[in-house]
This record gives sequence, C-alpha cells and structure tokens, in this order.
Amino acid sequence: MGYGSTIKVPFGPQHPALKEPENFLFEVDGDIVVNVTPRIGYVHRGIEKALELRSYIQDLYLAERICGICSHAHTTCYTQGIEELLGVEAPPRAKYIRTMIAELERLHSHSLWVGVAAHEVGFDTLFMYTWRDREVVMELLEAISGNRVHYAMNTIGGVRRDISAEETAKIRSSLDFFEKRVQKYLDVIRTEETFLKRTAGVGVLKKQDALDLCTVGPTLRASGVKNDVRADDPYAAYGEIPFKVIVDDECDVLGRTVVRCKEMLESINIVRYALDKMPEGSTRVRVPMAVPPGEAVSRVEAPRGELIHYVKSNGTTKPERYKVRSPTLANIPALCKTLVGAHLADIPIILAGIDPCFSCMDRMVFVDVAKDRNWVWTMQQLKRNTSR
Amino acid sequence: MGQTSEVANELRVALKDSMIEVKAPRERRIFMRIKKASFQETVKRLINDFGFKHLSTITGVDLGDQIEVIYHFARDGAIELSVGVALPKNMPSIPTVSGLIPAASVYEREVHEFLGVSFEGNPNLSPLVLPEEWPKDVYPLRKERTFEELRQIGTKK
Amino acid sequence: MDYATVEEEHVEMNVFSALQLLVFPGMLFLFCLAFFYEWVDRKFFAKVQNRYGPLYAGPFGILQPVADFFKLLSKEDIVPLASDKILFTLTPILYLALPLTALFFIPISEQTGLIAFEGDLAFVMFVFTLIVVTVFLAGWSSMSRFSIIGGIRAALQMLSYEIPMGLALAGPAIAAQTLSISNIARWQSAGSRWGIVLQPIGFAVLVICMLAELEFVPFDIPEADTEIVAGWRTEFSGRKLALFRLGRDLELVFVSALITSLYLGGAQQVSFLPPIATFLIKTMPVVLLLSFLRAIFARFRIDQMISGMWKYLLPIAVLQIVLIELGIGR
Repeated sequence: MGYGSTIKVPFGPQHPALKEPENFLFEVDGDIVVNVTPRIGYVHRGIEKALELRSYIQDLYLAERICGICSHAHTTCYTQGIEELLGVEAPPRAKYIRTMIAELERLHSHSLWVGVAAHEVGFDTLFMYTWRDREVVMELLEAISGNRVHYAMNTIGGVRRDISAEETAKIRSSLDFFEKRVQKYLDVIRTEETFLKRTAGVGVLKKQDALDLCTVGPTLRASGVKNDVRADDPYAAYGEIPFKVIVDDECDVLGRTVVRCKEMLESINIVRYALDKMPEGSTRVRVPMAVPPGEAVSRVEAPRGELIHYVKSNGTTKPERYKVRSPTLANIPALCKTLVGAHLADIPIILAGIDPCFSCMDRMVFVDVAKDRNWVWTMQQLKRNTSR
Repeated sequence: MGQTSEVANELRVALKDSMIEVKAPRERRIFMRIKKASFQETVKRLINDFGFKHLSTITGVDLGDQIEVIYHFARDGAIELSVGVALPKNMPSIPTVSGLIPAASVYEREVHEFLGVSFEGNPNLSPLVLPEEWPKDVYPLRKERTFEELRQIGTKK
Repeated sequence: MDYATVEEEHVEMNVFSALQLLVFPGMLFLFCLAFFYEWVDRKFFAKVQNRYGPLYAGPFGILQPVADFFKLLSKEDIVPLASDKILFTLTPILYLALPLTALFFIPISEQTGLIAFEGDLAFVMFVFTLIVVTVFLAGWSSMSRFSIIGGIRAALQMLSYEIPMGLALAGPAIAAQTLSISNIARWQSAGSRWGIVLQPIGFAVLVICMLAELEFVPFDIPEADTEIVAGWRTEFSGRKLALFRLGRDLELVFVSALITSLYLGGAQQVSFLPPIATFLIKTMPVVLLLSFLRAIFARFRIDQMISGMWKYLLPIAVLQIVLIELGIGR
C-alpha cells in the first residue's frame, strides 16, 4: 500500500501452507516481501547425540527415522559410510536392490511434491489426481518391504530382503501405469494456463546465485547446473546404470516442477534397467559389531538433493561422531534469496519449490497445559504405552 | 582412484606449509588436516585455485581436549575434500568463511550452538535450531554433556 | 364496499404473504435449497477429482451440509480481544440476510418474484456491493493480519469485477427494455428468446464475474487457504461461522437463480411443469457449471486477477453492450 510502513506476517509454526512446523517471519510492504527471517528447529530431536549413544546396528534404525519420505536415502548413506569403515562392500545384487528402492522412493516423493505444489496454488484437482496415482507406488513398496514408508530394506553389509519374481512382475506393471500418468502430468503443468501463471517466472534463482549459495538437488538443476550425486559421485549401482541428469534453464518454480516430473520418468527407466540386469547372488555379507577407527564421508542423492553423512569411528561398537546434513538445510540460503522481492501470494509455492522436509533438517515431548508441567517419555514408557 | 590421488598429491605439494596430513582412502575422497594459523589462506586457495567451490557442510567433532572443525568441500560434485582444523577446547575460535561462501553462515551457526565454536567475523551466530530459552553455555554435542542432563534442560520450564 | 370482507381479505393476504416469505418460496425453502446446492457442488467437485465427496450423512451424503451447519452452531464462538465487537457480531448476520433479501426479487415459484418493482435489478446490484462491503468489514473488524489482508483482497477483487458484472447484467435489461428481473425473465420466456442464445458473450462474462463474487477458484483469492489461512473468515468460529457458510450457500443459490432469470428464461410455466420445477431444472446446470469451473483451474494471484479483469474482461463486456446497441442480441 506504500505508506512506508511494513507489516510483519508470520508463517508458522502452524500454517496451512506448511506441511511441517517451521517459522518464517516475513516483512511485507503491500504485497511484496522485503525481508525474511527463517527460524527452524521445531522438530529438532537431538538425533546426532542419540546416534553416539547407540550401537551401529541400532543407529541404522534411528537413521531411517530421520525422515519419513527419504528414509531409504538416509539408510543408504548410513550403511555406505559404515561399510567403508569396515572395508566391506555390499554384494552386487544388494546394490541393485538398493538402487531400485531408492528410485521408487524418488518416485513417491516427487509425485507427492507435485500434488503439494498444485495445492499451494489452489489447483486441488491435480493434487487429488497425483496423490491417487502415487498410491500405486506406495502399494508396490508395501508389497516389497512390508511398509509404505521406513522400508528397513538396508542393513550394514547389504539388504535385508530379496525381490521375488512375483514382485518383479508387479513392479513392471505398476511402473507402466505410473509412467503414463506422469507423462500426463508433465503435459498438464506445461499447458494449463492458470498453473503456468502461478509458477512461471516465480521464485527465480539464477545460475550463479544457485552455485554461490551451495544449492543442491532439483532446485539446483532447475537453474541450469548439471550436478547430481548419482552421476558425479556414483554409489550403489548407479555407476553401472545409464541415466540422464535432468536440467532445466528456466530457474523458476515451473522449472523445478518440470525437473521433478522428468526425473520421475528417468527413475522409472532406472528401475526397469535394474530389474533387467539384476545380478544373482547373495543379498548381504556378515559384518562385525565393532568398527575399526577411521572416518568416512558418505553422499547420496536423496529426492531433495545432496545428502551427506560424516562418521568417525573409534574402534568400539558405537560411533564417536555422526553428522547428518540433509538437503533442505543446504537450500535454506537459496530459499531466502528467492523469497525477497516475491509477492505474498507466491510465498507458499516458493517455499514448496525447494521441497522442504524439515524433519530431516531439526523425541516425544509432552506438555500438560492444565498441570503446567511437561515431561518426556523414556524408551521403556514409549514401548509400554504404545504396544497395545 | 588415479585422479583422486593426483589431486591429493597436488594439494600436498601446494599447501605443504599448512598441511599436517592428507590422505585419499578411496576414489573421490580426500581427508586433509591443516594448521589453524594458515586456515584462511588455505581455504582461499582451495576455492580459487583448486576449484572446490561447493561447501557441503561443516562438522564439529569433540576430541576431548580439542574441538575439530571439518569443512566438507566438493568440486564439480565429484571429489569430496574434508579439511579439518583442530582448535583448543577452552578457546575454540576460527575465522569465518562466510565472506567467501555465503552459505557457510548456516553451517557455522549450527556448529556454534552445538559445540561452542566461535567463528570470528560472522555477524549472525544466533541459534539456528535450539530454542530461545536454551542456556547459552550448554553445548549439547560436547562429550561432557550427557543425554540425561540435556533432557532435564529441555523439559524444565 | 363491504368493509368486513375487505378486512378479511387483507388479513388472509397478510398471512399468505407471511407464509410465502417465511416458508415457500421464502426463507425455509431457500435454506433447504442452499443446503441442497452445497451438496450438489461438493459432490460434483469431488467426482471431478475422482473422490467420493459427502457419503455418510443421509443417502449419498445429502444431509452433510445440514450436519456441518448444526455442528458449527454447537461449537465455541471465540471473539478476539482486539476485534470490533459490534461489527464482528453484525457481519455474519448481514452476510446471511443480504443474499436472502436479494433472492426475494427472483422469480422462483411464480413468474414474478415475491417482491418486484421496476428497477429491482439495480437494487440487486447494490446488494452485491453491500455483500462485499460486509466481507471487507468482517475482515477488518477481526483485527488479525490474515483477516485484514483477506478483507482488502475481497474489496480489490470486487472493484475489478463490478463493472464487467454490471455490464453483463445490463445486457438482458437493455434487450428486454426493463429493469425488473421478473420482467426480464418473462420477456425471455414469452418470446422464447433466452439471453444465453442472444448474448452468449454476456453470459460468459457474467459466469466469470459470479465465480469471482462467490470467491470460487480461480478467484478464491480473499480466502486463499494456503496463503492467508482463511482470509477474512479466519477469526470466526461457531455460530458466526455457521452463518457465514449458510450465507455463502445462499449466495450460490442467488447467483445461479440470477443467471437463470437473466439468461436462461427464468422460472416459467412449461406445459405441465410449474415454474418452481423449471426453476430447479434450470438452476441445476448453472450450479454444476460453477462447480466444474472451480475444479479445473488453479488460483490466480491478486495482481493477475486485477490486470486480467481490467485488460480482458471489461473490454469483452463492453463489446457485448456495443453488439446489443448495434441490434445483435435484442
């Protein structure tokens, strides 16, 4: 409105636009954002400290629960780091299965994101359709691993479950269906006028800015930079599977949407290739409980970008130090850059553009407001009270 | 492996004054330890001369009587170089690199609030993740802080 | 002149008029129709999205809007401390009363509205403006960041669609040479010349403006839930929110009834079908159309809507008037 004063509009910790709690304090002049102060940590659970207190095999299950939607990425990163310290390598079949599950995870994460992005711009119909089709992938993962999220497929030394011939056939038919749907969505987002109006030219992040701010993942690739950990620093079976790194030059939210849709199509191809070329053999090797002293850096391309784990071992069964840096934290500086100068109405879609996963980024705490006290459940209490 | 050990050797030669050790345990991984005195100079050379422009993250490790700050750089997304600097625990401070790499600010804040390392020259070292009521001198990731103690602090009101 | 009989007649007519106003086709009927059309809208919207929509309350979920209404009535009614108490309490009542009042002018059960006079079309346009002023005041009196932004957006939106809407409403009036909604409807049905055939551009313009008036996607900017929580309705709860929701349903009835009367020939006697039946048959596709448009678009940004309205919709609406003046569409 231009009276020279700005309104401070808080987004979060509870806000319909946010799927997880975080706080952004926007200073708005009329409809334009002039400043943004992010405040994160609302789901901080002290995981790095917790990892130091548990054995390596227990930490595997803790690492999986850092995030619900990129759980396999975390365990892949974890097991790779520990395997490096132990000097073992997972058998080839295990690597292929890891790759396959990782790509299936990418599929369901990206399709969830497309729905969320559509919802943020008020396009609820696309949201409903993508989430309906996403169920196909979720059911597939449930058939393979027994769970829709937190698959617990990885273990130190390989994978815990094998893929049967029946499951292979199911994977192929589900992917055929899903591929057609993704192509349809790619069409819709590139031609639907109202969607284009809300995403084209919105949240622009130029190539140099993206590089300077150490952005990762589809956000970086949508600004024209061809960086992908799967191609640059191959892990699991990615060294043997040919695939394209999807890059877009648009640098805006539409570019990020297109990149994710095309990545889904690439993921489908990777899974098909992995199924065709799946090597025979065992799925895991036995590993000792104690890890020799050393340090290792493990990197994985999670659906949201570069995920990096650093582990330092001291010869015991527990890690000396374990560090997790998830891709959403890496994209926060870029996010703040794209938000300044944006319209208030574009904030949700720009926020969604980096595909934020704040669980990855920050223990059950109870608050009894009436008695004005709060307490924490210990592991024993948790087990006792929830296993009924 | 060839390219990685080549780069490791280049680094060993170029930075021999500030280098304590460098090793390349596998392809695309180099671990380097340098002296604090030549820290800023070394980082500048790594970024400008050697092209390690991407900072993945900064890790802080409590080594008992020292705190080690490890900077994880990447070059073209491929070679991951981890540069460690040991600091005395009673006075852990190191110059900031946020002037050279703006994104470092976020990671420095995290190391600061969890291990108490102060990054000279960083204008904003406010807590990133811990709540406002958290006592300022309690650094959760230091070994002397037990989980019990942290839980007490986290839940008292 | 037998005074006794005249008085008797008077009394009879008053009771009859009161019944008409209160029950059929007045308030009670309109409330039921509002609930029914909300169900139609929700069910159709859900079907387009491959969902079930309301399912359990009543057969096919038809009682869901009623259930929602009564549930809201029973909830806690929180009044923010900083709000303007009088306006905060008054706006929901106004928001309910205005479309209800306007509906009395639309022919529903007969070929004339319950109230009809020359110029009632202008009065109805005025009611539209009042509704938006009420919305603005509702947001303003809530004294919350999100409500104020929502209220301002609603006002901005109205400023943009008001003129094209006025032109689209005037089109049939010019053709029928009358400013009374009932007369316009009768002129169309008498001569079998529906407005939608004579002035299709005007019809399209009116539908778009009505989408904006109802705050349907792509124009649900004032209550964009992913941006400003619930916009101007954020702080209202319990009874007040129930009134707002019922008011919105009545608006839906009103808008479809208005479009029917001005462009689809209105309530008319067709062979054996009484006017009320044709009214229902004609308004249903309008509701379905509005619901369908709501499902297939994304939401515009306020500046995009304003520029779109002024740059495109207004000239098109003017074009329609020009065509009418040139004799096409009379």
